[in-house]
Amino acid sequence: MASETNTKSARMRKTVYFSILSLLIVLALPLIPYAFDALAVDVKQNKEDKLVALQSPAINLWNDVRQRNGKIEGTSQVKSVDSGILINKTGEDWRRFRLEILVPYGAYLMAGILGAIILFYLVRGKTLISGGRSGERIPRFTLNQRTAHWFTAGVFWLLAITGLILLYGKFVLIPLLGAEGFSITAAACKEMHNLFGPLFLLAVLAMLILLVKDNFFKLVDLKWFAKGGGMFGGHVSAGRFNAGEKTWFWMVMIFGIALGISGLILEFAILGQGREVMALSHMFHGISALILISVSFGHIYLGTVGVEGTLESMTTGSVDAAWAKEHHDLWYKEMTEDSETIVSADKNTQSGIAQSGIASPDTGG
Amino acid sequence: MLEQLVDGIFWDIALVVFFAGIAWRIVDVIRRPGRNDLAESRNSGISGAIMANIRGFFPRREISPRIRIHVIAGYMFHLGLFILLILAAPHVKFIEEHITGFGWTAMPYGVFVITAMISFAGLILLWIHRLLNPVSQLISRRGDHVATTLVFFVMLTGCMALAESSTGLRLFHRFTVELLMIYFPFSALMHAIMFVPSRAYTGSLFGRRGVKL
Amino acid sequence: MARMKFYCDAERCIECNACITACKNENEVPWGVNRRRVVTIKDGEPGERSLSVACMHCSDAPCAAVCPVDCFYTTDDGIVLHDKDICIGCGYCFYACPFGAPQFPSAAAFGSRGKMDKCTFCAGGPEETHSSEEHTKYGSNRIAEGKLPLCAEMCSTKALLAGDADVLSDIYRKRVINRGASVLNWGVQYKKAGIDS
Repeated sequence: MASETNTKSARMRKTVYFSILSLLIVLALPLIPYAFDALAVDVKQNKEDKLVALQSPAINLWNDVRQRNGKIEGTSQVKSVDSGILINKTGEDWRRFRLEILVPYGAYLMAGILGAIILFYLVRGKTLISGGRSGERIPRFTLNQRTAHWFTAGVFWLLAITGLILLYGKFVLIPLLGAEGFSITAAACKEMHNLFGPLFLLAVLAMLILLVKDNFFKLVDLKWFAKGGGMFGGHVSAGRFNAGEKTWFWMVMIFGIALGISGLILEFAILGQGREVMALSHMFHGISALILISVSFGHIYLGTVGVEGTLESMTTGSVDAAWAKEHHDLWYKEMTEDSETIVSADKNTQSGIAQSGIASPDTGG
Repeated sequence: MLEQLVDGIFWDIALVVFFAGIAWRIVDVIRRPGRNDLAESRNSGISGAIMANIRGFFPRREISPRIRIHVIAGYMFHLGLFILLILAAPHVKFIEEHITGFGWTAMPYGVFVITAMISFAGLILLWIHRLLNPVSQLISRRGDHVATTLVFFVMLTGCMALAESSTGLRLFHRFTVELLMIYFPFSALMHAIMFVPSRAYTGSLFGRRGVKL
Repeated sequence: MARMKFYCDAERCIECNACITACKNENEVPWGVNRRRVVTIKDGEPGERSLSVACMHCSDAPCAAVCPVDCFYTTDDGIVLHDKDICIGCGYCFYACPFGAPQFPSAAAFGSRGKMDKCTFCAGGPEETHSSEEHTKYGSNRIAEGKLPLCAEMCSTKALLAGDADVLSDIYRKRVINRGASVLNWGVQYKKAGIDS
């Protein structure tokens, strides 16, 4: 033992233990005053007895007015919604939310996603169909589904542009158009927004009914996410809709219906809702709208410029077989099991869909 | 100055072109020689004409499923449009001031907006259908697309002016209406008037044709 | 320059509603629009107090901050006014105002409220002073005549004070001193605590 106490490893061990101990003591030093404070409670309580409870004049009145002790409504000879409330505190919260959170972060979100997409395109370019087109067509969207999609898309963009003008116009357009000019623009946008709003809700519900069947998440979608949709990890399998498309679908459904319902609450202010309800609805409306607009940039990019062969699925209703094999192989297998669904591209019948459009008695989806 | 143009000379030009153009087209149709049918007529031509006009409003059962969207969206748009034109408060006021000198009770504001929504939905659905359906793509000409766009803009400018708070927006709506009126007699929009004589001619032809049992 | 404010002394207000009547009469406010209202807290119970509230002409007005068409402006006197020609009737000022001052003439569906109307401190609006347009749209312009708002002038107990903030706070301070705490306080008296008035 004696020889072991002075070996190099023994000395090292001692140094380490000593350092750790001294470190702990140094760290514990600031805690000492807290210990005194805890022990000193008795001392403080003795002192408090000598103080007199001194309140400001009419403190109870102003606490009630300020609603610090819960919601206290007075009465008024003016009978309208919220007329008995002297001070509405949600007003200031809403003002700060709209001007300090919604306006700047909404702008950052939209600009950020747009910038990311542009960068992505510049770096990766257009994703072409590997191996080129095969010339065979596979029907993908029925006429009803395409009509519903473009109806939703058109109404969405009308609402998005008018809504963005109402949110950002004060900062961007008043310098350009002047106060009166922008007032006319804003009045026009408000009327358009209010008229097309309920139409958007109906359109989203129509899309829900038409497309929900193939949009439920399955196990194969987890694998799709794990491989980043094929960006890293090579080929990923997908059914009729891949996991990214399903995510977009559910985003549109959830945020779209939230937009519709909050929009209806905002538009029909005559149902007795107070300012709190209106401010909350506006909050949901604004957040949902900006998220949906931002992610729609990605949807539009992928549907048009980003991937070759995608846009025709929504314009003509059919896609190239090679595109289907590459991006939705499980769906391609499903469709080609029944050999009638492949239609050869025939120059006279406009991408071949005419055969399934006219010959069958029912074009409904 | 713009107000004087839109409310003044341009409105007069639009009125003249509209009525003169329609009159010219109708006269042109009436002028054409009809076919001499020497066979004994089955029913009177007039009853055939009237029946054809009425039957034209209801699609044939055999093709109903395929033209469902046309019928539903079509009625949404057309009925909505007529109700808007005749019963919307700003239109009633306009007709009273500029055309007839007397007015009538307008519909309530909420009903006005709902009718406008239905009409818009019908128009947009039909427009998308015209662009997507392969048959419609083949038979649509430039005039059809121009007409749809113009009607849409007339309705859109009307929607923008709903608040009735600015003369500028109201003038914009009047201006698009005047453009539509000038375009109307030379376009497919003439179907609004021509469908009556067209159905009447076919109806009377088939009303007379055949053997009385 | 003066900074115009309102102050309603809760101890003096007897809920007579003369301020509302005076305002509606002087400014020819349309039916259903109430620029000023009297609210009674704890009606019928001990400690009942009434307050007359209209636009408080905030120095950092939330209504002006949230207006999407920027139709509000503050005069040199600190009075917050707005331009009805630019207002689009969106209602945001009403959501933001803590006092519920903005009022709208119409309660129709589809968000058509009409132009916002609110207390102008009897200072008219952006139209030419004393013109008939100004009177129809915004009511009378008493400030331009050197007078104070009629609600405060008509208050039967001088509970509602209107004018320069320094003058008002001086008046109110004197009232508090002369009253003694027993009137204002609901429990503890200053004398007991041994604090001089």
